[in-house]
Amino acid sequence: MTVRVVASEVRRLRGVRSTWVVVAGALLVNAAVAAFTAARLPDGELAVPDAVRAVAAVVPFLPLPLTALAAAVLGALSYGNETRWPGLPASRVTLGRRLGALLAKSSVVGAAAALLAVLTLGVDALAAWSALPAGVDASAVLHPSGLSSVPFAAPFAAGGPGRPLVAFVVLAVAGGWAGLLITSLVRSAVVGILLTGALPALLEPTAGLLLHRTGRNWPVWVRELVPFQYGLDLVRDAADRTAGALDGVVVVALLAPAALLVLAALLAQLRRRSL
Amino acid sequence: MIQITGLTKAYRRGRPPALLDLSFDARPGMVTVLLGDEGAGKTTALRLMVELERGHGLTLFDGRTYRRIRRPEREIGVLLASGRPEAGHPGQRARAHLRMLAGAVGVPARRADDLLEQTRLAGVADHRIGTFSPGMHRRLALAAALLGNPSTLLLDAPTEGLSPGNEEWFGAFLRSFALSGGTVLVTTRAPGEAAALADRVVTLDAGRLAADQPVVEFRRTRLHPEVLVRGPQMARLADLLVAQGGQVRRDGGAGLAVSGIDRTEIGELAYRHGILLHELSDRVVERPVSYPSALPSGSGRSGQVAVRTVRQGQRQGQRPDQQQGQGQHQEPATGRAEPDGRAADPGERRPATVGRPAGPEPGRQLDHRGLQAGRWAAAALAPNPPAQVQAPSRAQGQVQQVQAAPVPAPTPPVQAPPPIPASTVDLTRRTPRGASALSRSTARATGTGATGTGVTGTGAAEPTAAEAAAGAEVPGAEPGAPGGERPARPDGVGALPGPGTVDAEHLAANPTDAELLTPARIRGVGHQPAPVRPFPGRPWSAEPTGLRPSGRTEHTERAERTGRTEQAGPAEPVRRPRESGEPGEPGEPAEPVDPQGTARRSAVGDEDGSE
Repeated sequence: MTVRVVASEVRRLRGVRSTWVVVAGALLVNAAVAAFTAARLPDGELAVPDAVRAVAAVVPFLPLPLTALAAAVLGALSYGNETRWPGLPASRVTLGRRLGALLAKSSVVGAAAALLAVLTLGVDALAAWSALPAGVDASAVLHPSGLSSVPFAAPFAAGGPGRPLVAFVVLAVAGGWAGLLITSLVRSAVVGILLTGALPALLEPTAGLLLHRTGRNWPVWVRELVPFQYGLDLVRDAADRTAGALDGVVVVALLAPAALLVLAALLAQLRRRSL
Repeated sequence: MIQITGLTKAYRRGRPPALLDLSFDARPGMVTVLLGDEGAGKTTALRLMVELERGHGLTLFDGRTYRRIRRPEREIGVLLASGRPEAGHPGQRARAHLRMLAGAVGVPARRADDLLEQTRLAGVADHRIGTFSPGMHRRLALAAALLGNPSTLLLDAPTEGLSPGNEEWFGAFLRSFALSGGTVLVTTRAPGEAAALADRVVTLDAGRLAADQPVVEFRRTRLHPEVLVRGPQMARLADLLVAQGGQVRRDGGAGLAVSGIDRTEIGELAYRHGILLHELSDRVVERPVSYPSALPSGSGRSGQVAVRTVRQGQRQGQRPDQQQGQGQHQEPATGRAEPDGRAADPGERRPATVGRPAGPEPGRQLDHRGLQAGRWAAAALAPNPPAQVQAPSRAQGQVQQVQAAPVPAPTPPVQAPPPIPASTVDLTRRTPRGASALSRSTARATGTGATGTGVTGTGAAEPTAAEAAAGAEVPGAEPGAPGGERPARPDGVGALPGPGTVDAEHLAANPTDAELLTPARIRGVGHQPAPVRPFPGRPWSAEPTGLRPSGRTEHTERAERTGRTEQAGPAEPVRRPRESGEPGEPGEPAEPVDPQGTARRSAVGDEDGSE
C-alpha cells in the first residue's frame, strides 16, 4: 500500500509540467550563477571555499540556495496541487491516510530534492570549470596530487570541499520538506513557497542567539554556504570563528525549528478532515 | 445500503443550521436523488456522510461509518463538487491523472485505462485535463470515483451545468449502475432530472427533509405539467382556454402557461379559431411540497413520537387508496404519509370497490425497491418479449385514448411497473381517464384543474362504475383492464383467470396492462401520457420534454412505433363516423376511443406540423 502511495506521488510529480519547468529553471540559473562566480574569481591558486561557493552557486542575498528554493517549490506544489485539485476528495478523511500521504509526499520530495541537488552540483561544476579564467589555478581543488594544504584523500575533513557539498544537498532536501510542511499548514502553494523563503530569515536570529548564549559559533561552512545576512551580525563578535565541528548545541539549534515545523504539521493534520 | 440518521450541521451564534435531522435510506438497486435548491444542504449532507465535515448524526454504509471502512474507495465512490471545474491538475494528462489516483486507491493502473474507455475518454486520454470540457471533467471525476470498483456511488450534482447529451449519459450510466445492484445517491437541483433519474426522491428544503417519496409519487405530487403557448393573439386564446376549463396564467410578454389542457387540444383550438401560434410546447414546472398539515418529515427512525401516531392512523384509513386509487407502492418502513391522500379519500374508494373484487391482496408486497428493480430489469433485459413488444402494438387504442384525455392536469403516476400483479395499481386511474376522453365536456365540467389527485380520482371512478354497471365484472387481478380494450380482445372477458393466477404469461396473452404501461414508461414523466407524435417517422427525441429514460427503452419504443403505424390505418376510417356522431358520452364504454385517438392524432398532425 505504501509503495503504491509513493508510486502515485511519483506519478503526480512526474505528470505535472511545473515539475520539469522548475527543475530546468533551477539548473539553468544555477549554471549561470556558477559560471558568473567562477569567471570573477581572482587569479592565482583557487581556494577551496571559493571553489565551493562557485559550485554551490551561492547568491549572496538569497535566504536559501537556489536549489533548495527549487526543492521547496516542488514540495509546496506537491501538496498544494492536491489540496487544490483533490482527485479523490473523500479518500483522505482518516488521519492515518493523511499521514501516510504526507509521508509519501515527503519521501518523494526529499528524493527529488536530493537528486536535484546532485544534478545541480554536477552541472554547476561543469559550468564553473568551463568558465574559469585562465589565470586561476584550479589544480589545488581538482588534482589531488597537487594538493598542498588539503589532502584530497580526506575531502570531508575540516577544510575540505566535501562537507559543504553534503550540507548543500541536505539543505536542498530540507528546503523541499520545509516547503511541503509549510504548505500543509497554509494549504496554498504560493503562500507556502513565500513562507519557506522567509523561514531562514525568521529562524536564523533565534538560532544565532542560542548559539551566542552558549558561547558557540556557526561552523564556517554554514556561513559560506548559507549566506545569512541577519543573524550572523549578532554572532559575529563571538571569539571562536573557526568552529568546524557539529556539536550538540549546533545540532539542536538547527533541528529544533525543523522539529517544531513537523509538530505543527502533525497537529494541523489532527484537526483536519482532508489534506 | 446507506442509512442516514439524523444528519445535522449546526453553526454557532444563531445561524440557521445548514442541515437539520436528515434521515433517509438509500437502498441498493435504486437511484436515490437528493433534491433541493441552492443552499438546501445537499452538498453539506454529502460531505457529512463521508465525514469531510464535522456535524452530528450518523451515516452507515452497510453498517459502518465511512471512517471505519478500511478501504473506502473500494466500496464507495465519491464525486464531490469542488469549487473548481477541473477534475484534476490542468497540466496533467487524463491518463496520468487516473493512474496516479489508481495508485492512491491501490488498484492496478490497468483499471485506469478501462475506466477511460468506459467514460468515453479514451480518445482524449493523453491530453491535458485543462483542455477538457465540463462534461469531460465530470466524466473524468466519475472515472476517478469508480476506480476502486465501488458498489455505492455518492455524487454531488454530477450533471450540474452539463450539456443535455452529457446529462443523458450520466443518467443512463447511473441507472445502469443501480440496475446492476449498486446504490446510487445523487444530488440535483432540477426536479425534472430527479424525476427522470430517480427511483426515490428525497427533497430537502432549507436543510430540512421536505419529502421522501418514490418517484411516481414525486412525479404526481411535485411536478406540474404546463403547456407554454406563445403568439400574437394570446388574450383571445386565453379566453378560449379558460372557457374550455383550462387554467391560464401569463408567462412572459406574449406567452401563456396553460395547465389542464394538453398541447394537442390547445393547438386544435387555436387552429379552429384561427389563432396564430408561435410556440406550443410542453414543460414541467415544480410545485412546492404542500402538505395539508404537519405531516411527518422524518423517516420514522428519528424517533418522533407524533409521527408514528399520525402514520398509523393514516395508514388504516388509507390503505385502500394507496393500492388502488393512487397507484402508489409505498414503503411501509418509511411511513411517509401520502400528502393529498386524505383529500382523495372519498373519490378513491369507489374504484376500490368496483374495479377490484376483493380487498388488497395480502401477499402483495408493496416494496418499491423490488418494483423498481423489476422495472429496470424488464426494460433492459426484456425478459418477456411478448408482454413488452407485442403489447404496444395493440395498445394504440389506449395510447391514443390516453392522449386524448382532456384533463391531464396533475399527472397520474406513470410508473412502468413490471409485469407482476403489483403493477395493476396504476391502471384503474388511467383507464377511466382515457375513457373519459369521449366525454370531454363533462369531464371538464368537473373542473379538474391542477388541483390534485383527488379530483382526478373522482373522475376516474365514474367510467369504471359505469363499466361495472354494464355487467362486465373485471377480475381483481386486472382492475386496470380498460373497458375500451375489451371489444378489441378476441377472447373476451370471461377467459380471464382469477386474481391469483395472473403472471407474465397472462399478461403476454392479454396485453392490456403492459400495453397501457409501456408508453408510460417510455414517456418517463407522467404529465403527458399522450405521446403526441404527429409523424410516425419523427424520432422520439424530438419531443420537447427530455425526461424520458434514455437508451434503455429503445426497443419498446420502436415496437410501439411500429405498432402504432400499423394500427392507425385500418382503425381510423371505420370508427370515425361513430365518433363524430356521439362525441361526448361520459359513461360510454370506451369502444370508439381507439379510433378517436387515431383520428385525433391525424387531425392534430397538421397543427403540430405547422408549429
